[in-house]
Amino acid sequence: MDDLTREFILESREGLDRMERCLTDLETRPGDTELLAEIFRSVHTIKGTTGFLGFSRLEALSHAGENLLGLLRDGKLAANPDIISGLLALMDVLRGVLQSIETTGAEGESQQADSALIARLEELQRGDASLAVAEPVLAAVEAAPSHAARPRKPRGTGKHISRRPRGDHQGTPPPNDPGEAGPPIAVEAAPREAEPQPRPAPAAVSSTSARPATQAQPEAPAAATPGAADSTLRVDVELLNRMMNLVGELVLTRNQILQATSTDANFALLGRRLDMVTADLRESVMKARMQPVSHLFSRFPRLVRDLALALDKRVHLEMEGQETELDKSLLEAIRDPLTHSIRNAIDHGIECPDVRVAQGKPAEGLVRLRACHEGSHVIVEVHDDGAGMSIERIRQKAVERQLVSPQRAEQMNEREILQLIFLPGFSTAAAVTSVSGRGVGMDVVRTNVEKIGGKVEVDSHAGKGTILRLRIPLTLAIIPALIVHSRGQNFAVPQASLTELVHMSAGETDNRIEWLENAALYRLRGRLLPLVFLDRLLQQPPRERTAPCDIAILNADGRRFGLVVDGLADPEEIVVKPLAAVLREIGYYAGATILGNGEMALILNPGSIAQNANVTLTSEADDGLDENRAGRQDFLLVETGNRRAALPLETVVRIERIPRSRIERAGSRPVLRFEGQLLPLDDAASELIDASDDPEAQTTVVVCRDGDRQVGMTVSQVLDVTGGKQLEQAGTGGVAGGITLLHERVTGIVGLSGIPSLECVAETPAVPDFPSAEETQ
Amino acid sequence: MSDVHASPTQEVCSVQVGDTLYGVPIAHVLEILGKPATQPVPLAPYFVGGLVHYRGEVLTAVSLRRLLGMEPAKTPEDVLVFENPDGLFGLFVDSVGEVLHVSQAEHEPNPATLEPRRQQLFAGAWKLKDRLLVSLEPERLDPMRLASAFPA
Repeated sequence: MDDLTREFILESREGLDRMERCLTDLETRPGDTELLAEIFRSVHTIKGTTGFLGFSRLEALSHAGENLLGLLRDGKLAANPDIISGLLALMDVLRGVLQSIETTGAEGESQQADSALIARLEELQRGDASLAVAEPVLAAVEAAPSHAARPRKPRGTGKHISRRPRGDHQGTPPPNDPGEAGPPIAVEAAPREAEPQPRPAPAAVSSTSARPATQAQPEAPAAATPGAADSTLRVDVELLNRMMNLVGELVLTRNQILQATSTDANFALLGRRLDMVTADLRESVMKARMQPVSHLFSRFPRLVRDLALALDKRVHLEMEGQETELDKSLLEAIRDPLTHSIRNAIDHGIECPDVRVAQGKPAEGLVRLRACHEGSHVIVEVHDDGAGMSIERIRQKAVERQLVSPQRAEQMNEREILQLIFLPGFSTAAAVTSVSGRGVGMDVVRTNVEKIGGKVEVDSHAGKGTILRLRIPLTLAIIPALIVHSRGQNFAVPQASLTELVHMSAGETDNRIEWLENAALYRLRGRLLPLVFLDRLLQQPPRERTAPCDIAILNADGRRFGLVVDGLADPEEIVVKPLAAVLREIGYYAGATILGNGEMALILNPGSIAQNANVTLTSEADDGLDENRAGRQDFLLVETGNRRAALPLETVVRIERIPRSRIERAGSRPVLRFEGQLLPLDDAASELIDASDDPEAQTTVVVCRDGDRQVGMTVSQVLDVTGGKQLEQAGTGGVAGGITLLHERVTGIVGLSGIPSLECVAETPAVPDFPSAEETQ
Repeated sequence: MSDVHASPTQEVCSVQVGDTLYGVPIAHVLEILGKPATQPVPLAPYFVGGLVHYRGEVLTAVSLRRLLGMEPAKTPEDVLVFENPDGLFGLFVDSVGEVLHVSQAEHEPNPATLEPRRQQLFAGAWKLKDRLLVSLEPERLDPMRLASAFPA
């Protein structure tokens, strides 16, 4: 394909995109001359160039479109849904032909469909009864039915008045001059669903006569266009990709330099400078790949329009934050999920107009599309003011489709229930429509968004509407990751799915990893977590059972599991390199990367690992845990003497094992020198009293913060860190102070303020305020 | 090889794998990486020798030894970088030798007695003065093609 044709295709596509936007806008503002002029220009340009390039099919099609648009532009026809549908159809065919030219170099054959479309467009030019073209002149020109002229008869002179502008028009510049947009449509009598407020026809007629005053106005948009073209540049995506690769390479080199040790002070300085420059460069190259979400959003007005028409609903689309920018590849990646979500909102969300009115809502439903930045993410929201989701119905459906057991479904709270819509095979649509309801809905949305490291959240209130929130990372190319080792090899685990790390020393692995037949489990805060051994998963030579290991607790798409690895290295910002297809097929790897030390690492894909290991969704339960936490506090559970006591965890500064010889006495009170300070020590465990004389014997001291001061407390043993529930004192309705429920046992909370300060140490005998309500058992 | 009249000559990069000498037309070789660091890929198809780092890309490298069912090499291997329609890939060989000029006249197709797998991998051989130089064509070694031609 020659450059001219390529340029033509690019230009025409842009023109058609513009046309699409304008056409859908035209629905709400049918009389807007600027819009009509813009649409006309797009088609006219295509027609002009195709004749020159010899694409006869395109020429015939665009010619038919131009004729119709000419009438619209000159106000001889009123835009109505039929005409707009016809023009949209034309646009689709034009796109198809452009596509064909791009791929095959030829226009392709479908002459019959073409002539049908051309006939349809000609039909529309003539207009029919429903168009109700009121201008008698136009009616005459178009050989319109005589009844259209009848209502005008009483005015008599109208005929002459309106004839004049038309005569002027014929003598004026060529039709592609946007300034010649002429008076707008006289009357839009055809009833339209999406019309915000039906305008009385007579008013429109009279405003037409006064039209010449605004003739100069349409010049403005034409003048504004070149400005935008000057400040932007069309750049080959391939080139950008290459630049991105090079920047990635630079980042790697920088990482290596930063890690290299050198005694030269200058070297460190240069290294830091390189670091800064690299970071800046990376950012600007990444920016070059960014595109405003309006590129994506612009297609939705059409989608919403078509869907609303097909479903007999009235929907108004609002778009916000169109200037928000996102990496081009990510924009592509969320196209389908977003389209799907909007379909859902209109099909399942927005009710039919009569239902809405009956519920006291405006007949026209609202779908709001919003994009904004939030930290290193872009949030894209699809909000509808429709029916919302019925929790009961979801629960019922999920049980019906055997996605959860009836017992489990009963226990789930609202949030957990809402998460069920993301399960494969879930659909509540009563009937399968052409739009949705086939059960391949939200799980696809979720899968696609998670593929690019994003997240999907849903919030819905029955009767009020639904918000679907897509959380998309700003860029794909560079991600923070934790490097782990398994059998001498490096693997990178994306930080996005990493929730916490657990280390196990040599002796511990045997005890702390529990086995249920072949399934390894780890007890994380009382809950069993399935474990996946990376070495076994990858069929590496197995490690010894008792060897020390680390467990990376991962949350992949709501599936929680522990990945057992040999060891951990530093977290690093890694540049994701794609893998060859033969390696992608393995499934466990999301790519490869080169680390700061020059070694390579495979990037693990937690989602597919979880899937392969049959880890099921557990996130609902987790969310539940978080909710429970509201009224909870974490405590350090200790044993003092033979009693249990709880220390609020936020007060604990340090737990130290120290030789008794380090504990000194001020008067009768034990004190401890700690980080240059002297702490009053509470010998709660009586460790110091029955101490043997052995100065090497050790004791455990918990250093706590009490307001501005720090105090120490001896304990026999630290038992656990656990969440405690506050207890209500019977009858009072107030929270019982000083005690809490830990591991289902009432446990006293140590009152630190009771430990006397050092000033009064000398005089006051030690009477620590130690809890009396230790345990009931 | 200055005998221009004999038949068109070709520059061939000679590589050694085991006891056999192979030749790859130099025009196909993008670059030769001398004993690069490699990263094995667990669960990869058997013919994948590992990953190598090449100008900011991570290349999948095919191991000729594994492909031919030979013992793994005892010493670090060299890598030839080739280009295929989907991108770049590498080929592990024991060592890269000198560039040879071979003429079309010296070339003969694979003998019918060669085992089927090698029939598919080799593109005949050139008769050098004292030994054979087995012809390798990068397109036959493309990992994607190997995956479909020689499934594990």
